[in-house]
Amino acid sequence: MFAKDNVRMAMAQAENSSPPTPHVNEMTSCKLLVVGGGVTGLTAALEAAKTGAEVVLVEKSDALGGWAAKWSKVAPHRPPYRGLQDNPVPALIEEVEANAAITVKTGTIVTHTEGMPGKFTVKLANGGDEAWEVFGAIVVATGWRPYDPAKLDYLGYGKSDDIITDIDFEALAANGGIKRKSDGKTPEIAAFIIPADDEITPFSAGVTSTIALKQAIQLVDSDPDAMAYVIYEDLRAHGTTEDFYREAQEKGVIFQKGTVKSVDADLTVTVADDLLGQDVPMSGLDMIVLSTGMVPNSTNPDLESTGKGNAQLKDDVDPTAAFAERGLKFLTQNTDEGEPAQPGGPILNLQYRQGPHIPVLANGFADSHYICFPYETRRSGIYTCGPVRKPMTMGEAMEDAQGAVLKAIQSMRASEDSASVHPRAGDLSFPKFGLDICTKCRRCTVECPFGAIDEEEGTDYPILNPTRCRRCGTCMGACPVRTISFDNYSPTMVSEMIGAVEIPDEFEEKPRILVFACENDAYPALDMAGINRQQLNSMMRFIPVRCLGSVTLLWISTALEKGYDGVMLMGCKSGDDYQCHFVKGSAMATERMSKVGETLQSLMLEEERVKVEEVSIADSGRITDLLNNFGEEVEGLGLNPFKM
Amino acid sequence: MTAQIPDQATRKYDLKFARWVRDNVPGGDKMNMCMQCGTCSGSCPNGTEMDVGPRKLFMMVRAGMKEEVLNSSTLWECTSCYRCVARCPRGVPVTYIVQGLASVAAREGYAPKIENANFANSFWWSANAFGKTDERLVTMKYFFSFGLVEGVKKALANLKIALGMVKAGRMHIGMPHKIKDTKGLQAMLKKAAEIEARD
Repeated sequence: MFAKDNVRMAMAQAENSSPPTPHVNEMTSCKLLVVGGGVTGLTAALEAAKTGAEVVLVEKSDALGGWAAKWSKVAPHRPPYRGLQDNPVPALIEEVEANAAITVKTGTIVTHTEGMPGKFTVKLANGGDEAWEVFGAIVVATGWRPYDPAKLDYLGYGKSDDIITDIDFEALAANGGIKRKSDGKTPEIAAFIIPADDEITPFSAGVTSTIALKQAIQLVDSDPDAMAYVIYEDLRAHGTTEDFYREAQEKGVIFQKGTVKSVDADLTVTVADDLLGQDVPMSGLDMIVLSTGMVPNSTNPDLESTGKGNAQLKDDVDPTAAFAERGLKFLTQNTDEGEPAQPGGPILNLQYRQGPHIPVLANGFADSHYICFPYETRRSGIYTCGPVRKPMTMGEAMEDAQGAVLKAIQSMRASEDSASVHPRAGDLSFPKFGLDICTKCRRCTVECPFGAIDEEEGTDYPILNPTRCRRCGTCMGACPVRTISFDNYSPTMVSEMIGAVEIPDEFEEKPRILVFACENDAYPALDMAGINRQQLNSMMRFIPVRCLGSVTLLWISTALEKGYDGVMLMGCKSGDDYQCHFVKGSAMATERMSKVGETLQSLMLEEERVKVEEVSIADSGRITDLLNNFGEEVEGLGLNPFKM
Repeated sequence: MTAQIPDQATRKYDLKFARWVRDNVPGGDKMNMCMQCGTCSGSCPNGTEMDVGPRKLFMMVRAGMKEEVLNSSTLWECTSCYRCVARCPRGVPVTYIVQGLASVAAREGYAPKIENANFANSFWWSANAFGKTDERLVTMKYFFSFGLVEGVKKALANLKIALGMVKAGRMHIGMPHKIKDTKGLQAMLKKAAEIEARD
C-alpha cells in the first residue's frame, strides 16, 4: 500500500507541475561592492579581484586599514600558531592599492541601495560628491567598534591612569613601548582581566581571551623580568589558540581563575578565586589591562537614526537587556516602533519595504542562518563577514572574508541565470501571482522573510524582485486565496498528491496520517532513520515541502476532508536560535498552526489531530518515536468521521 | 595537624612568589603548565592526609600565598610514589616541585614539626652516615627524635614486631651494612652542598 501510494503521489506531482521557466533577467552586473576597508574588507576585495571580479571598495574614513592597522603585533593565525606575528594589514593595503581590478573609495559611504542581486543600484557619497553605480552583490565588512570604556567603572576604569583597556595597551605597544601612563616606567607586574563572557560584549570571550593572551605574551617578550597575570572567568582559547595559550604558559604568564570583585585605585584587584575557594587580594600590580571585546557596526554610528525599520535593530549591547526580543517577533518587521539600542543610521540604506537596515539577531550582530549559511543575511545578495557578524580575531576575519566573497560571486553568477542561490541552489522556479483573484491583502509582501515581494505602486498588486527570492514558498503558504504558485510547486499540486493516496474505508479500521516534512532537515532525518532501519508506523504518508512556511491551511483541511486521521508538520527550530533555512518559515508555520484549532473545532474534529514538531537534521533517532507516538495518539482519538 | 590558614586581614600575599618558585625550585618552570585539572590530587594516595592537595598548592603559589605554601603539610606528606607525575596530562613534575618546595621550607626554617619531617631527618642521617638505610637505626633515630621518654615508649610498643622480624630473618643483628666507600660519599655530599650554597 505504502509503495503504491507513493507512486500515485509521484504521478500526481508530475501531472501537476511543469519544468520551471526562468524569470527573464535584463542585464545583470558582476561588479562587487565591498563596504568597509578594514582587514576583512581588504581581504574580501583582494580575494574577489583574484577570481577576476571587478571590485569597488568603500571606506568611511580617509585611510584604509580600520582598527586592525593600529596593532603592532597580532595573535598567530598561521601554523605553527605560536609566537606573535607581524600585522598583515600594511601589506594588504599595498596589495589592494596596486590591484587594477579594485577601485578604492575612501571617505565614502553608501547612502542609497535599491534593486536586487545582479542589479543593486547604489549611491556612493563622498562628502558632497554623489555617484550612482550598479553592482551584482554587496559584501558588508563594516567590522566593529570598541566597547565604551566609561561603562567599565566597576572594573576600575577611570580610577587610575594605569587601569587601561586593551585598545589603550595596543596604542602603548605601537608607540614607543609598554609604559605606565602615570610615571612612564615599564610595568613589573601587570594583570590582564578578561570579563565574563556575557558581561559586557556577549560572545566576545573568544576574542578577549586571545587579546589577553597576546598582550600578556607581548609584555613578557618585551621585558623578561615582567610578570603577567591573566585573570579570567572563562578563558576561551578556541581552535588553534590552544597552542597560543600553551605558549603563554611556557613563557610564564600566570592564569588566575576567578570573578573580579573589586579593582581599587591603588591597583589592588580582589578576585574570588574559584579554585582556592576564597578571595585573593592581588596587590602590588603596576598595570591593569581590561579586555573589552567588540561591538558590531551593524549601523553607522556617525549617522542619525532614521527611525524606520527599528524593529530590525531591536537589539543592543546593553548586558542587562532581555534576551527575548531579538527582532524576530512574528510580523514586526514593518513596524517602526521601539527604540533601536544600536544607535546610528543604516549602512546601506536599503530601499526595502522592511526598512533600511540589514536585520540583526543577537546583540546587534547581523542575522544569518548561523550553522548552514553563515554569510547570508536576510537580504539576498548582501553578505556580511568579519566582526559585524560575530566577534572574531584577525585571522578568523580574513577567513570569513574569503567565505563571504565566494558566496557573493556565486550569487552574482546565479543572478545572471535567474537561479536561486541557497538553500535551493540552482532553482529556476519563482512565485507567480494569479492577479485575477488577488485581494491585495499584502500578506505575501509582509511575510516574505527576504523582502522579495513589493507592492506595485499605484495598483498595490504584489510584484516580485525575482533574484531576491529564495523559493521557500512562504508567500504561497501565506496567500489566503492560494493564487501564488511555482511551476513545479503549487497548492494544487500538493492537494492532488494528498488526494492520490487511497484511504481505507472506515470498516478496515486502518488510519492514515499525513506528514508534511521540511525538505531541509526533517526529510533527511527521516531518510537517515530509514537507513538505520528504524521501524515506522505504516499508516504514515509523507510529502516533502520546501519549508514549513509554504504549508497552506488548505492542505490540512483537504487532508482531513479526504479522510486522513491526523496531520503532522515537521519543520526546523524557530525562535531566537532558529535553524529554519528560510529564517522565518517555521516560525510562520507555528504561528499559523496555532490558529488551526478553531478551524478543526468548527469541523467538529479534535485539535490533537494536527501537530507541529520541530526537528533538526540530527534527530533521526527521535523522529520515528515522534511519529509513532503521534500515530498512537491519533488511534486513541478514533477514526476521522469524514471517512467515506 | 592541619595548619590553620590565617584570617584574610593578616594574610600576606606575594605576587612575585610564583616567579620566584619558577626560577628557584627544580621543575618550577613547568609549574606554569598546570591547568588545574586536579588529576594529581585525585591520584595522590596520601592526599587525604594533606592540608591541601598538589592542585590547590599550585594555585596557592600562583596567588602568592607564600606562608601557607611553605607551612603546609603537603610538602612533608609526599611519599614520592610519582603517581601524579605519571598521570599529569600537562607533564608537570609534581613530585619534584613539592619536594623542591619542602627543601626551600626546610632551608628557610618553615619546616613544621610533624612526624614525617623527623622521619626524613632520620633517613637522611642514615644515608649520610652509611650510604644505606639501616632499618633499626633509622627507626631508633626516629623514635628518639621525640625525646627520651617518648622514644622508649615507642620502642617498647614496637618490640614485638621487631622480635618477630628478627626471628623470621627479616632484620639482621650486628653492625649496620655500609657501602664500600662512605668517605667518598660524604665528600660527594659535601661538594654537592657546597655547589648548592653557591649563588
